[in-house]
Amino acid sequence: METLAYVAFGVYTTIILFGGLMAVFSRNLVRALVGLALTLFGVAGCYLLMAAPFMALMQILIYVAAVSIMIFFAIMLTKPPVGAEEQPGRPWWVVAGCIVAALAPTMLIARVLHVQPLVSHEHPTEIVLMDLGQTFIEPYFLAFELISVILTVAMAGAVLLAFERRQGQ
Amino acid sequence: MTALSMFQLVSLLLLGLGLLGVIWRRSLVGMLISVELMLNGAGLSIVASGQLTAASGTVGHAAALFVMGLAAAEAALVLAIIIVVAKRYGHIESARLRTLRG
Repeated sequence: METLAYVAFGVYTTIILFGGLMAVFSRNLVRALVGLALTLFGVAGCYLLMAAPFMALMQILIYVAAVSIMIFFAIMLTKPPVGAEEQPGRPWWVVAGCIVAALAPTMLIARVLHVQPLVSHEHPTEIVLMDLGQTFIEPYFLAFELISVILTVAMAGAVLLAFERRQGQ
Repeated sequence: MTALSMFQLVSLLLLGLGLLGVIWRRSLVGMLISVELMLNGAGLSIVASGQLTAASGTVGHAAALFVMGLAAAEAALVLAIIIVVAKRYGHIESARLRTLRG
């Protein structure tokens, strides 16, 4: 079983890496979005591995379904020129600078992870969903309400921003 | 290497890819996609910390769900902003958006 878990972890990590590289470097924005969806599926698999099937389902429901569709709408509504959204051809020092700038903070955190070894439970237990519901309505009630307010305000603001006034008004 | 370190390294990979994408991408939609990558890494890291340490797994789940909610709100707003920018300027390239006038 242990070996199987490692194999599954390797497969999911490969999916995440491949999808992430596709999302970052693909010229076509729709392909980049497909890469993002692939990565999100890989992360959902990681959630399954750490005994959090609820989070995996939420990941697929919220990210793969809702957020991806929203980004697809953004691509569709802004009508970028077909084929080449990102012009090729950058000098090598720009490429190197991009990679160094992205690697620097990542390496800093990796160093922290290396210096400070993490104590880990190798056998996670699945949480009871009832407890999660209790967490939302008892100790974290205010945060739960605030996030609904934020979602409502964000949606209303989005509608207001993108609203097209009729001619002559 | 413990299981927790492995999951944290995967979320670190997502963070690095997202940062690289935000720097690399020229269009606003591409940058939005990269920000989603980073937020996903944050969620993965939080759930791993909740599930694989002595900390409460329930709170880890709740925090990751909050991150997901905020990511959805952020994506909706950024989508609206991108549509407004595309309508006003006719393109969504971050390097060509230089006007600060209202």
